[in-house]
Amino acid sequence: MAQCVQSVQEFIQDSFVPMVAVLCSEDAEKVTRKNNLNFSELLRPFCRLTSEGHMRDPSNQLQVVKNLRISVNNVVTRPSVPSSGVPGHAHRRLLSEVVLTCQPAEGGVANVITAGDYDLNISATTPWFEAYRESFLQSMPASDHEFLNHYLACLLVVSSSEAVPVEKFLKLSQEQHRIQHSGEYTNPKWFIPNTLKYYVLLHDMSQGDEQRADSVYEDMKQRYGAQGCYLLKVNSRTAAAGADEQIPDPWSQYLHKSSLQSQVQLGPRLSVPSIYLLMYRTSEVDGHDSEEKGSLDNTHPLQLDTPSDTPGSLDALRAVAVETKPPPLTTGVAAATSHGACLTLNDHDRIRLFIQEFTFRGLLPHIEKNIRQLNDQLVSRKGLSRSLFSATKKWFGGGKVPEKSIAELKNTSGLLYPPEAPELQIRKMADLCFLVQLYDLAYSCYHTAKKDFLSDQAMLYAAGALEMAAVSAFLQVGAPRPYPAHYMDTAIQTYRDVSKNMVLAERCALLSAEVLKSQAKYSDAATLLIKMTSEDSDLRSALLLEQAAHCFINMRNPMVRKFAFHMILAGHRFSKAGQKRHALRCYCQAMQVYKGKGWSLAEDHINFTIGRQSFTLRQPENAVTAFRHILTNDSQQTSTQQGAFLREYLYVYKNVTGACEVALPQLPLPCINSSATRVYFGHERRLAEGEKQAATHVSLDQEFDRDLAAMWQDLEEQVVAAAKRGVVPATFQSTQCCLNSQTDNLRFPLAVVEEPIIVEVVFRNPLKVPLVLSDLSLLWKFTLKDFNRPQTQEDSVGDAVPISNEKEAISINFFCLIPLCLLPQARLKLLPHQTGQLNILGLVYNLASTSSTGDTTINTAEGTSVRGRQDLEIQGPRLNQTKEEKTSVSHGPDRRLDPTITPPMPLLEVFFLQFPTALLCGEIRKAYVEFCNMSRVTLCGLRVASTHPDFFTFGSSSLATPLTPLSPTSFENCSAYKTLATPPGATPGSVAAVTLVSEGDFGSGTGLRGGVSGAGTGGKGITEIPLGEGTLKPGESTQLPMWLRGPDQEGVHEIHFLFYYESAEKGGKISHRVLRHTVFICASRSLSVRATACRSNTLPEEEEEERNGSMLVFVDVENINSSEAGVREFHIAQVSSSSKQWRLHKCINPAEDKDCKLTSRERGKLCFRATRCKPLQEEKKQSAFPFSKSGVSSLQIITSTTPCADFFFRRCQPLESLRPPGVGHGGGDKDIAGVVRKCNEVDLDIIILWKAFVVEDNKQVILEGQLHVALQTIDKEACSLTPKEEAQEMVLLKFKPELPPPMTRPSMEQLSHLIKTNLQYPESYSHPFNQKSLCMVPVTLTLSNCSLAQVDVIIDLRHKTTSPESLEVHGSFTWLGQTQFKMQLGAQEVMRVQLRACFLHAGVYNLGTPRVFAKLADQGAMCETSQQTATPALIIIINST
Amino acid sequence: MAVCIAVIAKENYPLYIRSVPVQNELKFHYTVHTSLDVVEEKISAVGKAMADQRELYLGLLYPTEDYKVYGYVTNSKVKFVIVADSSNTSLRDNEIRSMFRKLHNSFTDVMCNPFYNPGDTIQSKAFDSMVSAMMVQAS
Repeated sequence: MAQCVQSVQEFIQDSFVPMVAVLCSEDAEKVTRKNNLNFSELLRPFCRLTSEGHMRDPSNQLQVVKNLRISVNNVVTRPSVPSSGVPGHAHRRLLSEVVLTCQPAEGGVANVITAGDYDLNISATTPWFEAYRESFLQSMPASDHEFLNHYLACLLVVSSSEAVPVEKFLKLSQEQHRIQHSGEYTNPKWFIPNTLKYYVLLHDMSQGDEQRADSVYEDMKQRYGAQGCYLLKVNSRTAAAGADEQIPDPWSQYLHKSSLQSQVQLGPRLSVPSIYLLMYRTSEVDGHDSEEKGSLDNTHPLQLDTPSDTPGSLDALRAVAVETKPPPLTTGVAAATSHGACLTLNDHDRIRLFIQEFTFRGLLPHIEKNIRQLNDQLVSRKGLSRSLFSATKKWFGGGKVPEKSIAELKNTSGLLYPPEAPELQIRKMADLCFLVQLYDLAYSCYHTAKKDFLSDQAMLYAAGALEMAAVSAFLQVGAPRPYPAHYMDTAIQTYRDVSKNMVLAERCALLSAEVLKSQAKYSDAATLLIKMTSEDSDLRSALLLEQAAHCFINMRNPMVRKFAFHMILAGHRFSKAGQKRHALRCYCQAMQVYKGKGWSLAEDHINFTIGRQSFTLRQPENAVTAFRHILTNDSQQTSTQQGAFLREYLYVYKNVTGACEVALPQLPLPCINSSATRVYFGHERRLAEGEKQAATHVSLDQEFDRDLAAMWQDLEEQVVAAAKRGVVPATFQSTQCCLNSQTDNLRFPLAVVEEPIIVEVVFRNPLKVPLVLSDLSLLWKFTLKDFNRPQTQEDSVGDAVPISNEKEAISINFFCLIPLCLLPQARLKLLPHQTGQLNILGLVYNLASTSSTGDTTINTAEGTSVRGRQDLEIQGPRLNQTKEEKTSVSHGPDRRLDPTITPPMPLLEVFFLQFPTALLCGEIRKAYVEFCNMSRVTLCGLRVASTHPDFFTFGSSSLATPLTPLSPTSFENCSAYKTLATPPGATPGSVAAVTLVSEGDFGSGTGLRGGVSGAGTGGKGITEIPLGEGTLKPGESTQLPMWLRGPDQEGVHEIHFLFYYESAEKGGKISHRVLRHTVFICASRSLSVRATACRSNTLPEEEEEERNGSMLVFVDVENINSSEAGVREFHIAQVSSSSKQWRLHKCINPAEDKDCKLTSRERGKLCFRATRCKPLQEEKKQSAFPFSKSGVSSLQIITSTTPCADFFFRRCQPLESLRPPGVGHGGGDKDIAGVVRKCNEVDLDIIILWKAFVVEDNKQVILEGQLHVALQTIDKEACSLTPKEEAQEMVLLKFKPELPPPMTRPSMEQLSHLIKTNLQYPESYSHPFNQKSLCMVPVTLTLSNCSLAQVDVIIDLRHKTTSPESLEVHGSFTWLGQTQFKMQLGAQEVMRVQLRACFLHAGVYNLGTPRVFAKLADQGAMCETSQQTATPALIIIINST
Repeated sequence: MAVCIAVIAKENYPLYIRSVPVQNELKFHYTVHTSLDVVEEKISAVGKAMADQRELYLGLLYPTEDYKVYGYVTNSKVKFVIVADSSNTSLRDNEIRSMFRKLHNSFTDVMCNPFYNPGDTIQSKAFDSMVSAMMVQAS
């Protein structure tokens, strides 16, 4: 139970007080009426006696009566509560009004109770309960089995203005006698037959004659004795005069109370009464006739007799209550119904004195006398009668059981004992003793009475005795015996079950609970209270449940959950009883326990109830908050339940927003995944426009890829570096067009004026029911800031475009009903027209629920649709840099939604025409690029960076623009290459045209020019785009040809382009802009070219200066195309070479005309002779061999012009960079390895140009292409499909500084190539062996030094191999003459040694037996290495007989 | 047979609640939640020193008009609550005990699942079917 203002003792004492009736003459009534009071009311504030009274108990002991209170009431002859025990309708209504008007004070002090991990905010006191209890006890009907609220005395009041006051007194006395004894009236019950009559003469000071009153009083004294009468002088002043003087009004607090019996009680005065209630009370002062009350009820504005509860009546109350706040108790009320207006403070004192006089002189002696009388009676009767009584019972009562039942029946139906029965006399005495605080005596009497009643089976009487026995035992000073709680339990049970008297049971329970509470037996109290709840009275049940809940929380180990549960039950009963406000309070208190503990079902229920109650109480804000909780939680409710919640919420919400249109409130649904919000700057791209294909750039449809983003950033950095002359500015920040959770959002993003900002918001529907969103728009704030001109205040126009496809998407959800279904993202566009700072704050939208009927067409008008907002708050990434940040959880800013709008910038659009998607490896295709400047600002500095710079070229800028057809449409089946008619007479394959080309002329050199070449990969992928004047005017567009070459590797290639451009006006906030493009090229296999260079063994004959400078180049071409259907055949159109030192000299194909065509899987071999030419500085020589036998084109392709040369150089570059500097170009002459390698090195690149005949849609198409082979070393095969990855990987291993290769000894293999040997001899030699048995053949051994260093050479002819095969052959010839030579060969020197071979027989001999050893001249320590033997040199010796 | 079986975490939030008459789910939630007070009372009644030897089965927590609520607390302070119909007089203490033991074993299995995150609501099918077996078949 909650704490009370009164102590238990006070409470019990005040519950049972001596009752005094009042009979008033009309004149006396008039006198008091001046004060707006009747007589009993006049006395009421003074009924508590402040001084102690004394009386003697039957044993003549003097007892002190402390703090006594009496109750003065008008005589009312009708029962207010039927004694049947069922409270009447009016009574109930009164109680409910009492509770209703007593509400917790707003912002009242609530104490925090900590129980376990719960911190509860609970008001410790429950004044409404105390008010209820007080009213309830006051309205207790007088019953026959007890005398506690029977009248002990009667005040007969006569005014002094009466003509003959004594006669009037007589009349009143007779009246009283009639009421008590005539038997006409049952209701005012009287304690004792001879009721104390106290005669009061009321004298009005303002009008009556005081002397006359005094004389009448003297007369009265004579007649009734000084103890039995009193002269009360009142109304010392006139009402008009008293207006200026402030007299305290002690009546107001008593009379506001809705006390039916007009009893005076001291109690909490926390209620805030309304004027209505007040007037109602005062209009009713005459009596409390239930009839009258009933009639009043019908017109009363506060009536609550509609249990269905239209909130109207409550609201009326509320409206009034609000109006009268703060309660005008002293001013407003006093003006209307001031009490005691004619009374001075002196009068107050007189009244007080009167009461005291009456009590101590009249009442107490009367009671004392009666107690004594009763006691004497009982003592005299004791023993005999009792024993006789019981003895007779024993003797005659044969069958006890039936008697009992009869007794019980009698008990419940009517009166068992006559009023003079001795048992009742005991009870009467006990009650008297109890009233005057003689608790010891009272207890013993009650106890005796209890025994008697029990033995008589008079259960109701027994219960009453038990109840009072327990109470008086509790109240005994010093507590000689423990409180008999079981008495109470028995009493309650009897009242309830046997007597069916709920009112008495309730009174008993209230007393008992209070006593138990005082003894800290909260558990028992709770059980008791809970037991008392029943179906018949919701209000009582609610109040008792609430008290039970308070019991649980006040236990030593607070039972929080039980508290909460019973609070909910109480709330439920309150709401059933129509006490909405109390219900809401109960639910709110219970909510504290359930909140956030995972009991979602219960939490939802409470929230829902709170929402409903709040709404009916016109607290829609609270209702919305409560409903919002249900919807935001991850609800476990069923979908129908959720749908109901949602509808209710929307309805309530609509009412709230309808009421106030100030700011749009926040909506809880749907959830916005704010971190997934993406912001896109720029126009939405049209990807294709007719034939044109726009650059892919960035779009919201793309997923964010971290690697890709890094790649783009790298590209951008490269291109910026190239544009800024090799230095990346410190403030460099890569352009981010699309911001999401993974991008760097620390800085304010930059957006350009007049370019849209698209915000993509991701929704999540946590419910199982579909939600309909419509009319979405963005909420934003804009601060105007002019970056160029001085500040001007202009209105900014924001444009919010709703998304139209939203509803369709929801209709899908509607059918799926997936829990937690993801709504599609909404994209909202904002178009800034001014520069400044934009902040996107949130979303505004309409939310509606769909009908539950499963309609396919979703009608937004049908469901209630509300408009609300939701803020977009993005939490930045968690900071984790410093120690402080690591230990705490702090988040960085995220400025995704706060773009800065900058002045206009150029906007480039790039379109591609005839851009292929599939290419053969090495295929050359011409496409067109269109650059469009969409903005109003001139664009310049256009560059492109790519991940595959060898894939495309814009042609050489320095050379004259090739004659290309301007319109791409006329370009059909036209070769991409520039051709030159072959001179008609020239034999194909024999003529080698030589042109000189500089590498720098071609696009690949662009990056190298700025000195970036030293920085490695710095600018290799950057191409400057040759625009007309270097700028692109606003609205202008340029079309440029672009050549593409299929990648060498087959497969799908992802090729990225990054177009870079700047504004012509410098100094903007954005230094540059970029445009991204990604293409996917599917490359299929075409030809595989393998080439080998071999040293020719033949000696140059014609040109002596080209010493050892001839080489054989074999080119193997294989058709490896896998799609036989598509590609019919390949033609080798031309083979060109490019080298600084070599040139292809001559085609020495054995059957040259057959090798030009290659059908599927065919392989052809081409053979060329290459000769060394004079080394040229930095220029490459290109020689071309056109094979025009194919008949398609007899034109020679100029390989030194744009597409071909471009790709050739682009292709070369990575290889070039692969070669360690200094090693390849003769920089290491001193180094043996270098020297040795040098002699084996070829630097010859071969370009194979081919044509493929492809059938495409029954049409033959000729495709062209080129492949490159780089020959580097003699006798080492080079392939067009270089295993690039491997080579690149080796380069990329950069963690070690690139040292020159260590001075390793050149390998034997390499050293064996130092000297080239050649034997010169006649192929066949006829010798007449018959004539001369010895055949001598002169053989010239030519030694040529391949290296650039001096070489010591040893020629050994004696050498014999051990193999039997050679033995056999060798045995047949011998070398004659000097068999060992030692000589030195200078650089590239050729030396001939004359040898002679001697043969004995005719036959075929291998002359290649001389062994040549060589070593570098200055390397003394090194031993000679055997040089490679020449191919078998066979000689035929013919016997010429 | 039980009409409601609940597993409550140490911090007194529900890990698992299942009840047979589904329409009365809310009521059972309230019942189980309220019973936690009694469970706590019973646990705290046992002295600290005795806590180790404490019996896990707490017996009847409290009877209501319609139901009997039984409790069981594991050593890790996870609570099991079984609500049985009062009218079902055939249900004896021993059977309740064995039901709790079965529940505990099954719960241990759930906890041993490496993919189960302690503190999450139990969604194990095995546990679910075991609980269903102990419940009154809703007819």
